[in-house]
This record gives sequence, structure tokens and C-alpha cells, in this order.
Amino acid sequence: MNTTDFPWLTTAILFPFLASLLIPFIPDKEGKTVRWYALVVGLIDFAILVYAFYTQYDMSNPGLQLVESYSWVESLDLRWSVGADGLSMPLILLTGFITTLAILASWPVTLKPKLFYFLMLAMYSGQLGVFAVQDMLLFFLMWELELIPVYLLLAIWGGKKRLYAATKFILYTAGGSLFILVAALAMAFYGDTVTFDMRALMNKEYALNFQLLTYGAFLIAYAVKLPIFPLHTWLPDAHGEATAPVHMLLAGILLKMGGYALIRMNVEMLPDAHVYFAPILVILGVVNIIYAALTSFAQRNLKRKIAYSSISHMGFVLIGIASFTDLGLSGAMLQMVSHGLIGASLFFLVGSTYDRTHTLILDEMGGVGKKMPKIFAMFTACSLASLALPGMSGFVAEVMVFVGFATSDAYSQLFKVIVVTLAAVGVILTPIYLLSMLREIFYGPENKELTSHEVLVDAEPREVFIIACLLIPIIGIGFYPKLITQIYDVKTIAVTAKLEDSLTALAEQQTRTRPLALQPSSAPVVAPLIQ
Amino acid sequence: MEPLYEYAWLIPVLPLAGAMLLGLGLISFNKTVNQIRKGSAVFIVSLLGAAMVLSFLLLGSQIQGHPPYTRLIEWAAAGDFHLTMGYTVDHLTAMMLVIVTTVAFFVMIYTDGYMAHDPGYVRFYAYLSLFSSSMLGLVVSPNLLQVYVFWELVGMCSYLLIGFWYDRKAAADACQKAFVTNRVGDFGLLLGILALFWATGSFEFDIMGERLGELVQTGALGSGLAALFAILVFLGPVAKSAQVPLHVWLPDAMEGPTPISALIHAATMVAAGVFLIARMYPVFEHVPSAMNVIAWTGAVTAFIGATTAITQNDIKKGLAYSTMSQLGYMVMAMGVGAYGAGLFHLMTHAYFKAMLFLGSGSVIHGMEAVVGHDPTLAQDMRLMGGLRKYMPITAITFLIGTLAICGIPPFAGFWSKDEILGATFAANPALWGIGWLTAGITAFYMFRMYFSTFEGSFRGNDGEIKRQLKVAELQRMGLSLGPGAMNPQELTMDAEVDEHDASNHHHSSSPHESPITMTLPLIALAIPSIVIGLVGTPFANYFEAFIHPPGEIIEGIPSEVEWGEFLTMGGSSVGVALIGITLASLMYLSRKIDPAAIAKQIEPLYKLSLNKWYFDDVYEVLFVQGSRRLARQVMEVDLRIVDGFVNLAGFVTLVTGEALKYLETGRAQFYALIVFGAVLGLVLLSGVT
Repeated sequence: MNTTDFPWLTTAILFPFLASLLIPFIPDKEGKTVRWYALVVGLIDFAILVYAFYTQYDMSNPGLQLVESYSWVESLDLRWSVGADGLSMPLILLTGFITTLAILASWPVTLKPKLFYFLMLAMYSGQLGVFAVQDMLLFFLMWELELIPVYLLLAIWGGKKRLYAATKFILYTAGGSLFILVAALAMAFYGDTVTFDMRALMNKEYALNFQLLTYGAFLIAYAVKLPIFPLHTWLPDAHGEATAPVHMLLAGILLKMGGYALIRMNVEMLPDAHVYFAPILVILGVVNIIYAALTSFAQRNLKRKIAYSSISHMGFVLIGIASFTDLGLSGAMLQMVSHGLIGASLFFLVGSTYDRTHTLILDEMGGVGKKMPKIFAMFTACSLASLALPGMSGFVAEVMVFVGFATSDAYSQLFKVIVVTLAAVGVILTPIYLLSMLREIFYGPENKELTSHEVLVDAEPREVFIIACLLIPIIGIGFYPKLITQIYDVKTIAVTAKLEDSLTALAEQQTRTRPLALQPSSAPVVAPLIQ
Repeated sequence: MEPLYEYAWLIPVLPLAGAMLLGLGLISFNKTVNQIRKGSAVFIVSLLGAAMVLSFLLLGSQIQGHPPYTRLIEWAAAGDFHLTMGYTVDHLTAMMLVIVTTVAFFVMIYTDGYMAHDPGYVRFYAYLSLFSSSMLGLVVSPNLLQVYVFWELVGMCSYLLIGFWYDRKAAADACQKAFVTNRVGDFGLLLGILALFWATGSFEFDIMGERLGELVQTGALGSGLAALFAILVFLGPVAKSAQVPLHVWLPDAMEGPTPISALIHAATMVAAGVFLIARMYPVFEHVPSAMNVIAWTGAVTAFIGATTAITQNDIKKGLAYSTMSQLGYMVMAMGVGAYGAGLFHLMTHAYFKAMLFLGSGSVIHGMEAVVGHDPTLAQDMRLMGGLRKYMPITAITFLIGTLAICGIPPFAGFWSKDEILGATFAANPALWGIGWLTAGITAFYMFRMYFSTFEGSFRGNDGEIKRQLKVAELQRMGLSLGPGAMNPQELTMDAEVDEHDASNHHHSSSPHESPITMTLPLIALAIPSIVIGLVGTPFANYFEAFIHPPGEIIEGIPSEVEWGEFLTMGGSSVGVALIGITLASLMYLSRKIDPAAIAKQIEPLYKLSLNKWYFDDVYEVLFVQGSRRLARQVMEVDLRIVDGFVNLAGFVTLVTGEALKYLETGRAQFYALIVFGAVLGLVLLSGVT
């Protein structure tokens, strides 16, 4: 068999879903067999992805690879076309990795295990599909399909307010995706040819006004997903109610879809509009960082606290995307991968802690470090990773965004100074809420009220294993970021180059109506000295 | 000697490997690893010993004139942008390597005795090793970004170690305070690094300095901006080296075990700030206004630290304020351009302050035998006294350290402090005045400490003082927790701890000398505290010949002594120290003057010092409570306004949707219509314009 022609991505996308269809026929009442089945399916799929990546993926190629395209619905010109490039490959691998770990993390689930694992595997397919498909209509379908398992997972296995949270989630995201459909159709019918193929759409020349409108529509949809202030309020509710494995997927993968689509569609396909919208993205990014960090500090519910910390971290993705530099965009990508790992690890640990304390309210905890030293150690390590400690991945990503934005020549000096200063305030706020959280859970004398009615056992090997799996890449990237950056480096450079063109072209065209805060023509004062 | 340099990376990596191995062992095989206590200790100490030997070899090679050596690898890249990491060995690095490894080595040996009964013995060694690794990584960093990386890592180690006894509330608060305060400094440092990179396009110290000089000279960069950049970078050292106004974390950091106070919060990590100023010297020297800020910050810190130390009763807190004050001297020296003098004081201070802290640990260890494992009692000097009889080695080494810090010749502190004061006088007599006055106060509080700890009669069995101290502690806690919030659990826990002690090793009525693993490091550190100053005497300043600013060239050994200047400078500082000592002996040794009466006479000043110049209280109201209030308000806004608004928008659409449902038949068609209409509108709109 010729491995080059083998449909790797299609196999990887469809395999979990097809395998999940067999779950009802597994003779298993207690859910002991089905969880092993799901785990093996997850592992095989991850192995397929890794194998395809090692043998078929060329990291020095900025173009689309592992391409497959089959005609699906002739009359609609709908094609099943998938592929991976630097933007999607790291996220596809991340999806396989986190989802498999999430299946391992759902070991304690006892309520309707068959349905649970069925949904988990269906989600596996949906998530991979979102990152891999190269057809606009298909993208929309995948985007919608992956909502259903999440909705059910939230609504059946969630906490007390699960129905409210699930409904809110579905309303927000489905409402947002309506905008994707509108914008996608508009782009497809624009000009002489009608096509849904992303590469063809990228090469179309759109008028500026059209670009601005579609950009805005996409932005609303992805702002819900990423999330961006003020469309973020579904997230603390959804995250606050979800069980740990679902939580890992929500934070680890689903948020990244917003960031990915923002780069894929808004930046790549509508570069001229991006020049206009970029300052808004930067401002929203700063708002995300500070606003969410402050809210997180005030939260007394552990899950909501971490949920807001996710929102805060996504602010750096926005600033990176809008930086117009290789380094900034690269940092945004890295922040997505890094937060995928760190967010998943933190949410998993929150779940493990909850399994023991049976409370999420910080005031009811305290001093549990004595009884659970391993969980304490792992929680500390992951919190330090989240507050961007050097030697861990979050630091590299944030520094890249900072340096990238600071050296960007697309913005005026004053704007850059204000943005960098405010974003750096996040550097102070993050340790405040994360370390306060650690202090309130683990430090201090034991809370007698808690220990009197809860049995606090330390982490079991399965939990240590999951955290070890997440911490190894976190530290690996922290020590040697090229591990990840080399996968997408050529791609982000290509994207930035295209943006530079739009930037200079617009600067020449529109000397009169210059966009807010943008001064494309004025180089920094000391430009000659910058290498 | 090339292989030596090629393998210099082993110096930080060896302790890191040790720490990781122990850490993994603790996570995976907790019970077993915790049982091989001595084995783990020997393993960690020998790894650090190997790093120490390598450091000495490097220092030897550097003294013989080996050119600086740098090795880099590409760390991160994007487009034509490259970040490199690696290591560099030059004179400054070699000296710092030797200081860090020797102090860490002795502290680690000492730890064996001090932590002998602690259940976290192995974990403590793992942390110590991790810290040594980060600190060594910091001093070999070839560029500013890598300094920042390790800068944060030492901060993290300090966080872990201050919170080592995590079931103590005070420790939990202190470690968070330390980390957050340091992050405030790092905020400035990060901005400074970004700004300097933006201006000069480099993270390398020399290139940054050179280009910044050029930029300022040609006027491309205003001198105001350049000063701002430099001061932003300086904020990092302000926090790390406990300079006013970010010094508040250091005294609280004394909640950590004493070996840590000696290693991190006296000898090495806090000196990292001074080290960074030295590394950034090529940049700072082009910005005179920033140098002025640095000098004045140092002077103010030296003074505030010393005046606070006068009234402290906790022996470790007293030493902590003294550290802060001495760091102020070093920073002031850097600010007035006395590069060599500042680093010289860093070196001498590292040795004698480490010894003083280890000595205080030995005292606490001895006191615990009498009063039990309660920091409130074991560390309070009001319960000590007359310990010289029981702990002769500790007393003698502590006295040596005290003489060294007071600047009595020929002890180490005299030469370095004298050099700083001399250089400061030449630069700005007002600064010198502050430094000179501080020297007197230093002598006073250090001898106050020595006399009330080691001389007089032993007060450790006085039940009345103990009771008073306990009551004061409870009041303090009540105040900090708010009325009625006092946690009754703490009381019962203390009682339990006491019982536990009583059953294990009964309280004796007199303290005892510490075991050999603790006294040996004291003796070993006493030697450099006496003689190390001799490498930097004005008669033959070998130190200055070895350590000088990168831009300067020094031929031979500077030895021109102006006897007149040396005698007036040295004489006046020794004189003021002697006045301080005399006062202290009158008040605390012979008790001719009653300190309480004086305190009463100058009550406002006394209160100011006792309450640490009210920094903590102001910060509590301004920042701690302020940020909490702000956060709560933002959360309210999020909950009520943002969420409410979006929910309302959704509600309105739903209602209108419901209404429209009656007009249209079938939902699907309706949505299709809307989508179609919107698409049509978009295409038309863009086609028209």
C-alpha cells in the first residue's frame, strides 16, 4: 500500500465516530469495558495522527499537505476536502492528545457510561474535522456538529445548574455560527465563480467594504468561541457546570477553534479588513487579559475562577494575531497550544480535587495539602505553568507575543506603549489570583469542618500519569520552544508576509483616511538600528 | 583549559538533575524516597560539591587571564528573528559562581543538622538543589532575556521555600506576598527589557549599552526616555534586592526555614539584583539620571532598613532588615559608579551574612529545646540571653559576623564598606552622610542583637515573658483577621504541637550547642568573614583589578593609597561604629541606660521603627484591599451588566422570534429566508459601493 495516497486525515476524522457506533453493542452494564474500548480507540486515532505527521508532513512546506478531496454533493458543489498546514497541524495533534487523555480522565464516570463515551468519541471526530476540513460549508457543518455532543455532555453530566449552562452555551454558539454561515455564503457567491473551497476563497479579490462586513460577521462568531469580551459570559457557566473530562475538552480544544478560525478566515482570507480591525482586536485582547483576571480574582468558585483565567490567557492570542509580526503570530499559535495543555491540566486537577472535597467553594476548603501532597504538588506545578513561569510553555508564548507586538511597526508608539503596559499588568494579576487560590485550597492549618466528613485520599497513579503526560510537553516546550514552533514557522511567516502586503498597499492607497491608531508609513524612531 | 569551559554548563545542570531526580522520586515512590534521607542529602551535596569544584577551576582560569567564553544555541525563532540562550563565563560570572556554590554548599551541610527531625527533609533538599540550579543559571546568563528566565525561576524557588511549612498560616501568606511583590518588580523589568529591545534590537548587555549610548548621543532617543527604560529595568532589582518601596516581602520571608533565609534571603538571591545592575552597567552608565535614582534608592533603603532593625525583637527579622540595609549599600555603590566596591561588598556580605543567619538558626535550634517548636517563642530575643555559656561556637562565630558587618578592621565588612563610603563621598557628600549614619546605626542594632542573645542571663524559662509574647501574637492575628475572626483551631493546634514536642524530646531548662553539621559550616564561613576583605584593601586592590566595569581597562593592581583620605574615611566610619557599639553595650550589656525609657521619650519615632515605617499597613489598605474591592466590582459588572445585557439581547430576539413565528409558517423557512436575505444584502451592498 502506498502510504502517500492513504487518506490519513479522513481516516483519523471518521474512525472515532464509526467506532463509537459500535458502543451500544458492547455487552457491558457497569461501563468497565466500554471505557477501555473508548481509550483504545482514542489511542489508535492519536497514533494514526502521529504516524501521518511523522511520515507525511513536511515542516518546511508552508502549503497545504495531506490533502484529500472528494466530491460529495454534486448539486451543491459540496466537497469533502481535508488537509493540514502549519496552522492546523499542531492543533490536530493537540486534539488527539487532549481528547485521549480526557477519555482516561473520565474513568470515574458512572452515569450512563455508554452514552458518555459515545459522545466523547463523536466529539473527537467533530473537533478533528473543524481543524482539518478545507471547505467552507463543511467547516460550518463540523462546527455545528461538534456542538451537539458538548450540549449533551453538559446537560446530562453537568452540575446543579447544568441545563441553564447548556442552553446558554448552545444559544451563544449557535447564534454565533449563524454569522459564519452568512459570511461563508456571501464569500462563496462573491465574484464570478461560486466555490466553497477555502484556498479558492483565499485567492478571490474582495472589495474592502465586503471584507469589512464579512470580517465583522466572522469576528462575532469566533468571539463567542474564543471567547472575547463581552461575548464570554457563557463560558464561566458552561465551565462551572461541566465535569472534568468535558472541561478539559472545552478549555483544551474548543476555545482554540475560535483562535484557529480567526487566523484561518479573518487573517488569511480577509487581510485588508484585518488591517482595519487589528487595533480593535488588540484592545479587546487587553480587555480580556485585565478584565478576566480581575473577575477571576474575585470568584469564590474554583471552576469559575479557572474559567476566567482561560479568558484572560486568550487575550494574548488576540494581541499576537493583531501584531503583524512573525513573532507575534507565532506566539499566538504557541499560546493556543500551550493553553490547551495547561488549561486541560488545571481543569483536570480541579476535578480531582472536587472528587475528594465535594465542594468548589474556596471558603469551604483549606489546609488540604497535608492529606493530599501529590495533588498539591501537581496543582502547584500547573498553576505556575499557567502564570507563565519560565521553563514552561506559557512563558515562551507570552514573551513572543510581547516582543512581537513591541517590535511591530504597524502601530504608533503611544498605542504600543499603552497596550504593552496594560497587558503586562496581567503579569501581576495572574499570580495574585492563582497563588491566592493555591493558598486557600492547600495552605494553612487543616479545615476541620471539611476533614470531618470528607475522606481526602491522595492522587492515584492514573491521575499522576495524566498530569505527567501534560506537564512533559509543557516543560519541553518551555525549555525548547522550537519543538512546536518549527511545525508552523514557515506558515506563520507566509501569513505575515501577506499581511505586510495588505498593510503597505493600504498605506499607499489611503493616506487620507488612515485607520485608527494605525500609522503604517511611519517607521519607529530608531528603525535603522533594528536588525 | 578549553574542555573546562565546554563543560561549564554542567554547573547549573548538575543540581537541576539532582532536584529533578529527587522530585520524581518523591512523586512516584514517596515512602521509599522519604526513608533514604541521608542518601538523598549526600547525593545532592556531592552534586553541588562537583559544581563548586568546577566553579573554583573556572575562577582560577579567569584569574590567570583566560578570555571570556560564551556559547549560544538558538532557542526560539520566527522569521528572521532569533532568540539565543546559552552561557557565558567571564570575571563577574566566575566570582558569582564561587560565591553561590560555596554558600550553598555550606548551607546544605548545615541543613542536615537543622532539618534533622523535619518530615520534609528530602523535599527540602530537592528545593535547595533546584534553587542552586536556578541561581547558577542566572549568573551564567549571556543575555537579558535569559536573566529574566532565571530571575523568575529563583523567585519561584523562593516561593516554594518560604511556604515550605505550608500548614503555617504566616508562611502561606508570606510566600504569596514574596512572589507577588517580586512580580511587581518583574513587571517593570519586563517592560524595560521590551523597551530596550525596541530601541536597540538586542538582548546582549554590551550591544544594548553601546547602541543606547549612540542613540542618546545622537539625540534619536530622548534622555528622558532612556532614563525611563533604565529605571523600568531597575524595578526588577528593586523587588529582588528588597529596595524601598518593594522591600516588604523580605522580612516576611523569614517564615521559611533558617537555612533558606541564609542562602536565598541573605547571601545569593537578594544579591541577584545587585548582580543585574552590574550586568546592566554598560547600559546604565549612559543614563546619569537613572544612576542617580539608583544611588538614592540604595541610600534610602540602607537607612530605612537600619532604623527598622533597631526595634525588632525577632532575631531573624532583625537580620532581615539588616540584609535590606546592606543591600542598600551595594545598590548605592552601583548608583554612584563604584562598580567594584558594590560587588566587593556583595561578596563579603554574602559570607558574613550567611554565617550570621546560620548562627541565628543555631540559636533557634538551641532555644527550641527549651521553649518548643514555636517560632514566636524560639526566635524572640526577649527570651534569650546568656547563650554564650551554652553555645560557645555559635557565639564566637556570631560575634565575628557582627564585627564584620559593623565594619571593624580587619574584618571583611570594613574594607568593602569603607570603599563604598569613600566612593560615595567623592560622588555626593549627602549620600555619604546617610551611609555614614547608617553605619553607626548598624553597629548599634547588631550589638544590641549580640548582647541580648549571648550576654547577660538566660531568660528562656521566664513564664511571664512567654505569656506576654503569646498574647501579643494572638492580638496580632486578631488584628490581621479582623475582630471575631480568630481561628480557634490554631490554638488547639499549637497546643497539640506542644504536646507532641513534650512527648518526643522533653524540654530541658537550658539550651545546648548545635551538632557538628551545623557548627562546621559556621566555622568554615567565619574564615572568609575574617580574611576575604584582604583581597580588596586600598593598599593592593586585587579585587578591583579582577572585577571592573566592562568599559574600563585597569593595568596592574591599583594600590595608590592616599593616606589622608583613607584615614579620615576609615576613621570616621570606624568611629561612628564604635559610638554605636558603646551605646548598645550601655543599654543592653551593662544596662546603665534603660532602653524602655528612651523609647518612651521618642515615642513617635519608636513606633515608626517598630511598625516598620508603616509600609505594610499602607500597602494593606491601598493595594491588597484596593485590588480586592476592584476585583469584586468588576465581577459584579460582569455578572449583572455584561451577562445581563447579552442575555437581554438574546431574550429580545427570542420574543421577537416568537412573535414572528405566528406571522410566518414554519421556522426553517424563516431562518433560510433571513440567511438568504442577509447574503443578498451583503453582496448587493458591496457591489454598489
